[in-house]
Amino acid sequence: MKWLLLTLSLFVSTGAFAQQDRYQFDNNKQAILFEELTKELRCPKCQNQNIADSDAIVAKDLRDKVLILVKEGKSKDEVIDYMIDRFGYFVHYDPPVTPATLVLWVLPVLIVIVGFGFIVIRQRKASVKQTWSSDDEMLLAKLIDENKRQGQS
Amino acid sequence: MNRKILAIAPLLVFAFVCVFLYQGLFSNPREIQTGRLGQEMPAFNLPDLMQDNKQWTNESLKGEVYLLNVWGTWCPTCLVELGYLTKLREQGVKIIGLYYVQGYDADFDGPFDMQSLRSEVTDMLQRAGDPYQFNILDLHRTLSLDLGVSGAPETFLVDKNGTILLHHTGDINPRVWRAKFAPIMQELK
Repeated sequence: MKWLLLTLSLFVSTGAFAQQDRYQFDNNKQAILFEELTKELRCPKCQNQNIADSDAIVAKDLRDKVLILVKEGKSKDEVIDYMIDRFGYFVHYDPPVTPATLVLWVLPVLIVIVGFGFIVIRQRKASVKQTWSSDDEMLLAKLIDENKRQGQS
Repeated sequence: MNRKILAIAPLLVFAFVCVFLYQGLFSNPREIQTGRLGQEMPAFNLPDLMQDNKQWTNESLKGEVYLLNVWGTWCPTCLVELGYLTKLREQGVKIIGLYYVQGYDADFDGPFDMQSLRSEVTDMLQRAGDPYQFNILDLHRTLSLDLGVSGAPETFLVDKNGTILLHHTGDINPRVWRAKFAPIMQELK
C-alpha cells in the first residue's frame, strides 16, 4: 500500500505551481489575481493564446505589467481596463456588449426563440386542421368492423 | 405563400453563411487596432538611439505630421519595408523610428550593448536605406506597451497636435500606402 501511494504520487502534477514560483507576491490574494488575469488576457501576437501561455515578447511585457499593477493593489477591472486602453477590446477574452458584438449574444437566443415558435405554431396548425364529420364516423365504424371480422376468421 | 418562404429559407441561410465565410477568407486577424486611436500620444521620455544625452518626449514631437515606425534590426519584414519608407522620406514624409528592442536576455543574448546595437543599425540602414529623421530607443518597450504595439513592424500616423490617427500592423508597401495612409495625408494637407 505504501508503495502504491508513492507510485501514484509520481503521477500527480505539480505544474500548477510553476508560474507562481517565478513571480514573487506579497500575499496569496495577489497571486490568485495574477493567475486569473494572465489567463483572461489575450496575447496580441500569438493569437488564441492567453498571456500566461504565450512566449511572445509582448506577452512577457504584459505579464510583467500585470504583476506591477497587481502589486500596486489595482483591482481586476482596473488592470483589464488598463490593457484595453492600450490594446483594444481584443486583449480581453470576455468581449463587452457593444453594437458590433451584440449579435453574438442575441443570435443564439433568437435562434432558440424562433425554433420554439416554429414548433408551437406547427402544433397549433396541426390541431386546428383536425375536423371530424359524421361521414368520417361512419367510415371509421366500417373499418373497425372489417378488421374485426378478419381477426376472427 | 408561406410554404414558398419556408422553402427558400435554407437557401437564404446558406447564402448568408457563404457571404460570412467568404469575407473571413480575406480578413486579417493580425490587423488589430490600438486602443489609443484618436487620442493623444502617450507621455514618454526616451533617449535617442544614436546620440548620447539626447532625450525625446511626446511634447518635442508635436508641431508636424509624422509617421512613427516601430522597427528593429532583428525583424526581417522591417528590412523589406525600409526601401519603400526611404522613398516616402524623399517625397517629404517625416518618419521617426521607434526602435523596439527584442527582449534581450542575459542568459541568451548577453547583456545589452549599446555600441553593438548602434553599429548593427548603421549597417542595416546603409544597406537598405535610411528613412528616419531620428530613432527613439525603447529599451524596455514602455512606449510600445503604452501604444499597444504587439510586434514589429507597426506604424502610427500622428498629426500636428500629437493625435494618433492611424495604426497599421505589418509592413508599409505602395498598396497599403495608397489605401490607408495617402487619403489621410491628403486631408491633413
